[in-house]
Amino acid sequence: MTVELIGGEMLVWSDLDGTHGPAPAGGAALRSLLSGVTGRTLVAGPHDPDLLDALPAAPVTLLVRGVADAEALAERYASRAGWAICCGSLDKLATVPAYDTVVALDGLGRLGSAEAADCTGDETLSRLVAVLRPGGRLLLTVPNPFGLDRLVSLPAAPADADWAEGDEPHTPGRLRARLAAAGLPVVRDYAVYPGVGEPAVLLSDAVLGDVGLRGFLEATVGAAFSAGPAVLTDPVRLAVGALRHDLAAQLAPGWIFLAGGGPPGPAALIAPGPSVVRRDAAGRWVLGGGTPVPLGRTLADLLLAACRRRALPAVRELLTTWQASPVAGVPADRIVVDADGHLHGLAPAGEPLRALRRFAAAVIAAGDVHLWPSPADEAELTALLAGMTGREVEPHRVPGGEPAPAGVRELAMARDRLARELAEARSQHEFHRRTIAARDAELRRTRQLNAILAATAPGRAVTGLLRALRRAWRK
Amino acid sequence: MRWGVHHANHYYGHSHVLARYCGLDDTDPPRLHGYLQHGWNIGDGLAPDHEYVPGIPSFLWSERTRRRAWSLGRRQLYVVGAPFAYLLAMEPLPPAAPREGTIYYPFHGWEGQHVVGDHDGLIAEIRRTEPGPVTVCLYWQEYRTPRLRQRYQQAGFRVICHGYRGGWWHNLDPGFLHRQLAEQRRHARVASNRLCSAVLYGILAGCEPAVYGDPMRLAGERSAFGGQRRIEREWAALHGTRVDPEVARAVAVDELGADRLLPPAELRRLLRWPMPVGVAA
Repeated sequence: MTVELIGGEMLVWSDLDGTHGPAPAGGAALRSLLSGVTGRTLVAGPHDPDLLDALPAAPVTLLVRGVADAEALAERYASRAGWAICCGSLDKLATVPAYDTVVALDGLGRLGSAEAADCTGDETLSRLVAVLRPGGRLLLTVPNPFGLDRLVSLPAAPADADWAEGDEPHTPGRLRARLAAAGLPVVRDYAVYPGVGEPAVLLSDAVLGDVGLRGFLEATVGAAFSAGPAVLTDPVRLAVGALRHDLAAQLAPGWIFLAGGGPPGPAALIAPGPSVVRRDAAGRWVLGGGTPVPLGRTLADLLLAACRRRALPAVRELLTTWQASPVAGVPADRIVVDADGHLHGLAPAGEPLRALRRFAAAVIAAGDVHLWPSPADEAELTALLAGMTGREVEPHRVPGGEPAPAGVRELAMARDRLARELAEARSQHEFHRRTIAARDAELRRTRQLNAILAATAPGRAVTGLLRALRRAWRK
Repeated sequence: MRWGVHHANHYYGHSHVLARYCGLDDTDPPRLHGYLQHGWNIGDGLAPDHEYVPGIPSFLWSERTRRRAWSLGRRQLYVVGAPFAYLLAMEPLPPAAPREGTIYYPFHGWEGQHVVGDHDGLIAEIRRTEPGPVTVCLYWQEYRTPRLRQRYQQAGFRVICHGYRGGWWHNLDPGFLHRQLAEQRRHARVASNRLCSAVLYGILAGCEPAVYGDPMRLAGERSAFGGQRRIEREWAALHGTRVDPEVARAVAVDELGADRLLPPAELRRLLRWPMPVGVAA
């Protein structure tokens, strides 16, 4: 298969190797979206070849801007009939409605090359829309400049791909109106977590609007994040909070729009798997295979709420129920408590003390640690939480914890807590010093009194007797 | 020698009761890391003569006291409940035990203060109000004052004392609360001229409460946190010769933290006490 150079191609460039910018769009969730694609397809921008493997039969046109990428793709898909590789800038693509499906899951930002003239985001979108046949389907990713991943990130040096910053039509509302005006009404849009590059969880309004699914979504989204670069504060805490306060769509790292003709797509997609979340015939939420989704809040949410209310008996009861259940080893933020009070674990069970320690870390991170006397380190708090369930544990026997996200907020909190504990330790030290001084004085007085009493006749008799008894005892 | 433990923790044998609850030697309780509230308190849980040390935890009887203390800027507060409530948890009341008469606790001072007031007037009022036999429980200081003790005896009351309170590690009396519980269990009513710990204990121990009579002013009494007037206003439902027992029980449970006692494992960790011998960590 030969590569068609359409103009604006970048000779010494690769988006797919991830060295000039973020990695190409990929992941199991996107793969699942692509498997339903039909007709003649244009895939515009860098997409992970593993994703492209999932595309059904021909014909497919891949558009990339780096020559190295085009050649690599040409080699990979040499055997696929009906596939074509174009290399260059989007504005050089003939604007004839030629495609039934246009896939732009990497977004609009990497469709123009350095060789091309400056294009606004709207112009880029117009070009994509222009190549769609009437009734065609558009799959588009749009990053959110106020997504919580951006809100917590520390400023980074610009990458090679950042010769100019895009000005994409960001808000979902405006984009929906724009696409509808172009004859492509949005049939489904997803809030995407933990990031647009490799989304693991795709959530539509249907699932975000259902309060009963809150716990399940918090557990799922929380599990999707992995440790990343230095941040202002832990993004998982924000994501879970956003879900709880109906802000998950507005604060998502980005959105995926399915617009135009074709079926709407599932209510939610969750990697790994990925699992589809849908309503069954009876209207209940189920996972793809038919397993019902547990409805309710996460155990961690209930516990932290009780901590904030200072309702210690409620905390005790929840902890005891948890630790007495089969899911004692599942972390509290991966357990959904249903209306009957049953606990549903959504992750494999590990060691119960580790799960407790993880919850202790969450309490400390939430700033609720002043519920318990300090010093409040994780091991001490874990032992105390275990004690609340009636279990005896020494702090030194608590297993090690996971490294905490090194966010600026968390560091500041830790610093303040340590400063406070140090000040308290100093004042306790002073109190002890004074107590010791008082006891020393009393001891001195007692010794003096003893010396006087021992010097008297009865005193000498008693001490003599005691000495004799001690000697006899040692024998 | 025990350094750094607050001496008030041993008042009335409180730490002894908790030690027994935690499965430890109750004749020689270990050092308790913190300050344990030793009497019913309408302030921040600490007695007025006790020094607040930041960083040393306060173990309080009720959630209400904790909130009040927090609002006053105290930190390191934990609600454990009253040691008397733990004693009752270990020795529950037999359901149909016979009870008779009233046990009356006339308001007293403590070592640093002396009571001024009309004992005779109080005695007359007790005789007017109480139907059955009356036991008068005096604080050790008054019990050892022959003139006071005889006055109550001559009035026809049985006069007792529960023992020393203890202070500065002298005269520690681990049996105090046990004797108090034993006496209260035998009586149908508990009464005083001021709402105090003894009345609340009595309610928990199943007595019908009453608070009446001249509250008796202390010479030089400082009314911290509103004093006697506030007590009469905020806890009005517990004052009078006949008190609603349901209301009284609810108040006593709240003020003594009887509905939120800690399991031994948690209490042990909190007080930083060792584990009993024979328990695997």
